[in-house]
Amino acid sequence: MTVIVLDNGGGQIKAGIGGDRDPLTIIPNCTARPISSKKPLIGPSLLSPLTDLTSATLRRPIDRGYLINPDLQSTIWAHLFSTLHVTPSLSSLLLTEPLFNLPSAQRSFDELVFEEFGFRRLYVANAAELVHLYEASRKPYGVVSKRECSLVVDCGFSFTHCVPVFQNFVVNYGVKRMDLGGKALSNYLKELISYRSVNVMDESFLVDHVKEKLCFVSLDVQRDLIVARKRGYDNIFKCTYVLPDGVTYTKGFVKDPAEADRYLTLYDGATGRHTEEMETDQQEHEEKHENKNKIDLTKNEFSLTNERFLVPEMIFRPADLGMNQAGLAECIVRAVNSCHPYLQPVLYESIILTGGSTLFPRFAERLERELRPLVPDNYQVKISTQEDPILGVWRGGSLLASSPDFETMCVTKAEYEELGSFRCRKRFFH
Amino acid sequence: MMDEDTSNSVRRMSTRTRRVAPKMVAALASNDNRTQAVLARLEALENDNPGLETVQVNDDSDASLDDDDEQVFQKKQSKSTKRKTRQAKALENAKKAPRTFHELLHEANLESLPRHVPTYLRAAVGPPSSVARRHFCTVCGFSSNYTCVRCGTRFCSTRCQNIHNDTRCLKFVA
Repeated sequence: MTVIVLDNGGGQIKAGIGGDRDPLTIIPNCTARPISSKKPLIGPSLLSPLTDLTSATLRRPIDRGYLINPDLQSTIWAHLFSTLHVTPSLSSLLLTEPLFNLPSAQRSFDELVFEEFGFRRLYVANAAELVHLYEASRKPYGVVSKRECSLVVDCGFSFTHCVPVFQNFVVNYGVKRMDLGGKALSNYLKELISYRSVNVMDESFLVDHVKEKLCFVSLDVQRDLIVARKRGYDNIFKCTYVLPDGVTYTKGFVKDPAEADRYLTLYDGATGRHTEEMETDQQEHEEKHENKNKIDLTKNEFSLTNERFLVPEMIFRPADLGMNQAGLAECIVRAVNSCHPYLQPVLYESIILTGGSTLFPRFAERLERELRPLVPDNYQVKISTQEDPILGVWRGGSLLASSPDFETMCVTKAEYEELGSFRCRKRFFH
Repeated sequence: MMDEDTSNSVRRMSTRTRRVAPKMVAALASNDNRTQAVLARLEALENDNPGLETVQVNDDSDASLDDDDEQVFQKKQSKSTKRKTRQAKALENAKKAPRTFHELLHEANLESLPRHVPTYLRAAVGPPSSVARRHFCTVCGFSSNYTCVRCGTRFCSTRCQNIHNDTRCLKFVA
């Protein structure tokens, strides 16, 4: 019997067959209705380069990480299962749910799974345990698997969780949450661009792309702000993004990828490369730059400078945004401190970063710099990143689904029909 | 030099009349409203379609049913056989309409659980240990030293102040 592994995130659904290495599809967990049509688009059609998603109206079944619109979720799932060519009535489902899921959302998920789609079995997992499982299996002799505990930092689309995991179970009193994720960052960037250059308030997909391509985490904000103030070529943060015009380009793109990567020289290139080489480079660039400096009227574009690092900066200091919440480093410290003292040194040694928002360049480096002063001297701090932070949870789920005793852990349809949602949930300890 | 916004209430205001509704002036003067504006802005960061003023809730329930006409037909038939009172219909509609996250959270009544039970509410990190907050100019993004005396937003220079006054001052909704 096939097991469908469904990582039902707030931003993207990762779906595939248990036992595989990669999911079959990754689709946005939303519907988008372009202004030109009445019917909303679902699934892979949102990702194809031909669809014009300018000013599309988005609807998401998940808000702040929790299911609020089961009908919409059911529409998206129905579409998903038909494209995957699976028959729910013949398969089991491994579903991920957020931590501390609300009882009403749990009930709606159960109704969807058993009543609407008629799956045979259901197993509900949470992201942190799956990530822990995957990392433990990848390095059988590493700290994570030997001590059987880790601190999973999941910085996703809806929120950020710091989750201590001990012996494959979440230490639920130690979990700490920041209400800041990829969606808020995108919206913040959207606000900044709309105020300073072009109105992109309706272009969620476009701004997501800008964020993924151009944003990075600064290691020294004060210094970088000074650099960002410079004019002309000296300003290595300045980067131009070209908006789609609907005729030649349907998707926006970074005007000059080399220009986008120039900020890297500030950290590692400046000392390593020969100065002569740099100078000739600079001359060449200046020539090129002059050509570029002429405003191309045929293109609609905007450039970013300090926004590139001030946006991801909010994960580390949400207070700057007016949020009354501690930053990521402090969040980790609080999560660890609420665990048993014996666990604390081990947790600091096995921090695992996962989730799409950790993909900003230098995220881990900055986190270590922030965390180190907050942790007692005699403890080691070790932050490891996953090879693919977006798929980490799904791969853990795939691993769990292929384990021999997976079926015994599930709730069957008959059990659900007899006991109801609430009693069945007791089995998953949440 | 601009004063900090704490001394704002003590400051003598100029007699020049501003083109703001009197209610708005009273609202803006109180510190509480500024925090309300901040909260509204944070709420807006979680919004899916901030550019749009109205979100039509029942808009796509019809559209999604277009997919298979047979189903619609069947449903219509079954509906016509049963007679429903207006109240029952209203109840059904209320059930169907998607609720917001805050409504669901309120409904879950997590406050009533005993203190030791970890819940969504108790998992929040809580306020930062250091109160020092960095301020960035809302116009250009660099570190800002001045606060607008009218609305409390930050700016860094006269140039940015002018832009702020022209575009954003007292307009809390971006």
